[in-house]
Amino acid sequence: MTSAGRPWIPRLIGPALILLPLLFIQPKTYLTLTISGLAMGMLLFLVASGFSLIFGFMDVLNFAHGAFFAWGAYVGYTAMLWINKWSGWATSDSFFLNMIIFLLALMAAGLSVAVLGIIIERLVIRRVYGNHLFQIFITVGTMIVLEELIRITWGPDDEVMSVPQSFIGSWDLFDVVISKYPMIAIVIGLLIYGAMHLILKKTKLGMIVRAGVEKPEMVQAMGHNIYRYFTGVFAAGSALAAIGGGMWATFVKSIHPAMGGEVIIFALVIAIIGGLGSMTGSVVGALIVGLSYNYVAYLIPKGSLGITMILLIVVLLIKPTGLFSEGT
Amino acid sequence: MEKIHLTPVQEYRLRERAERTSGSVFYLKLFLLAFFLSVPFLFHSFEILDVILKIIVFSALVASYDILIGYTGIASLGHTLYFGIGAYLVGIFMGKFGLSSYGHLALAVLIGVVLSGVLSVFIGFFSLRIRTIFFAMVTLAFLEFVFILSSQLRFLTGGDDGLSFKLPGILAIDYSLGRFLGLEVTGRIISYYLILLVALILFLLMLRFVHSPFGRVLKSIRDNEQRSIALGYKTYLFHIMASSFASCVASVAGGCFAIWVGFVSPESTLGVPIMLDVLLMVIVGGMGTLYGGIFGASFLMVMRAFLPKVQGLVAALLPGVPLAVRLSERWLFYFGLLFILIVYFFPKGLVGTAQEFVHKKRNEEIG
Repeated sequence: MTSAGRPWIPRLIGPALILLPLLFIQPKTYLTLTISGLAMGMLLFLVASGFSLIFGFMDVLNFAHGAFFAWGAYVGYTAMLWINKWSGWATSDSFFLNMIIFLLALMAAGLSVAVLGIIIERLVIRRVYGNHLFQIFITVGTMIVLEELIRITWGPDDEVMSVPQSFIGSWDLFDVVISKYPMIAIVIGLLIYGAMHLILKKTKLGMIVRAGVEKPEMVQAMGHNIYRYFTGVFAAGSALAAIGGGMWATFVKSIHPAMGGEVIIFALVIAIIGGLGSMTGSVVGALIVGLSYNYVAYLIPKGSLGITMILLIVVLLIKPTGLFSEGT
Repeated sequence: MEKIHLTPVQEYRLRERAERTSGSVFYLKLFLLAFFLSVPFLFHSFEILDVILKIIVFSALVASYDILIGYTGIASLGHTLYFGIGAYLVGIFMGKFGLSSYGHLALAVLIGVVLSGVLSVFIGFFSLRIRTIFFAMVTLAFLEFVFILSSQLRFLTGGDDGLSFKLPGILAIDYSLGRFLGLEVTGRIISYYLILLVALILFLLMLRFVHSPFGRVLKSIRDNEQRSIALGYKTYLFHIMASSFASCVASVAGGCFAIWVGFVSPESTLGVPIMLDVLLMVIVGGMGTLYGGIFGASFLMVMRAFLPKVQGLVAALLPGVPLAVRLSERWLFYFGLLFILIVYFFPKGLVGTAQEFVHKKRNEEIG
């Protein structure tokens, strides 16, 4: 945490900032905005956490991460169409069947992009460990190739993402409009965060990865083949980006080949704000960015990206290594 | 007569000086300059002139980027931000406020340079402090941010439609000076020579910069940062200064680009695709050479000019194969592959590899 003497002060800043927009926004609107902000934050967390972990553990700046996100969205979209053609679960009224097809599509996206990630890591990334300049070149090249492959495979136009029947619409709680899908996204995001947290904190694998973030040479010296872990972490990070992509597509109900480039900016900012390689940092950073983006978009429609940049600058000035840079 | 003992650096400098105006490389440079000077007389088609001029402007831009990436060893992914600022200031002065006189044009370029310098010091100040890798991320985020800003601030930048403008006096397209050696000297031709002159000055400035003691310190930081710190150099300040110098050069190049095209828009000056082009030009040309920029820019610009023709050819030859047409349309895909393959096989780029070859030969002759 930030100041060792009074650890409660930084913890108060967060809630204070979240409640600050209440001065300008009606409470009902505020709640709606908060929910969509939390949902956006959770989805951004899925993208940023993989990016952050890959950088923290492997010291690789992966600009192709956004392309994995876009691939996840497209694979999820295709899986959704195919499974629905075969079963009709997406168009049925049962929430249970809707959920199953949605999770199947996400799994298809995650698994296929994990395989893609393994191929990319073996073929491309392995060449440039330890050389930041070449990493940037080669991952930017990979980003272009993957994005163009989407255009070759699926065509260059926008597609409409099919959303399961019961995810559409909203609940009305005491006059507060709560959209259904953002709530589902928040729950799924929290479950994934919980699972990651448990894996990193409670298992031997997680311990090795956390040690690798601190000192990779030491892990290697203790007799673990660190390159195998590199491949694994890269695949996991790619899969997380892909799941984020599938969920994001359902959130905005459309997909297009360049969607990765828009999200990678958020992932960069969140990773820097939270501290590279830190899970907690990713979650906090993503929620801050998601919430502030939504509040500002409501108050000043054109200032929404500006607030993200202001956050980045402020954090870099106050704590240049990121908010949670020590350990995960 | 006693022999004066020289330090290795002095010896190296003397040898460098002696070689500067001799040998095949020097004649190659002279030939290049002569070629650029005679282009309007050789080719009368506007298309070719346009491609060559863009090569000139982008050579200067890529060389300034090379100062960052090849000489200083810090990666920026937002370098075209300053190119865009330079272009936009000319556009805003000429197109938005209609201030078209030579003085205002010079003022626009000057303000662009000052603004770029200040902004890059500001960005460098909080992103170069900890790890230079942050710099790549933060600059990319800023480029994206300014891109969106330029498309949103309609009252100043004309939004997505951009700004069109007319240039003053002898630079205007419809101006004609009369005929010279069978060529009508229009405002276009005058602009061409003006921009060539500016690019040449920028190039000489950059060469001076990297060969100066300051430039040598930059190289030492690039090659061994720990040691440079131990020698007492404040690497952080050197990085910021190099970055702001490169930004000022990029800004002037942007101004030249705007003067030539007579139009600025977010897509044409600030888009991420342009940044990717510059990145590819640096890799193709080679890092840490400055001259590589000319080759990288030539390669990419010529490719871009010819690729649509190849596309038409493929479509004509294989009308029934949609996949082939799709594959020929997506030429960016091949650029992406090129990125990866060059890093695989020519990590020093074209000029870098050639230079290495020359040095090897020379060392054999000496040794």
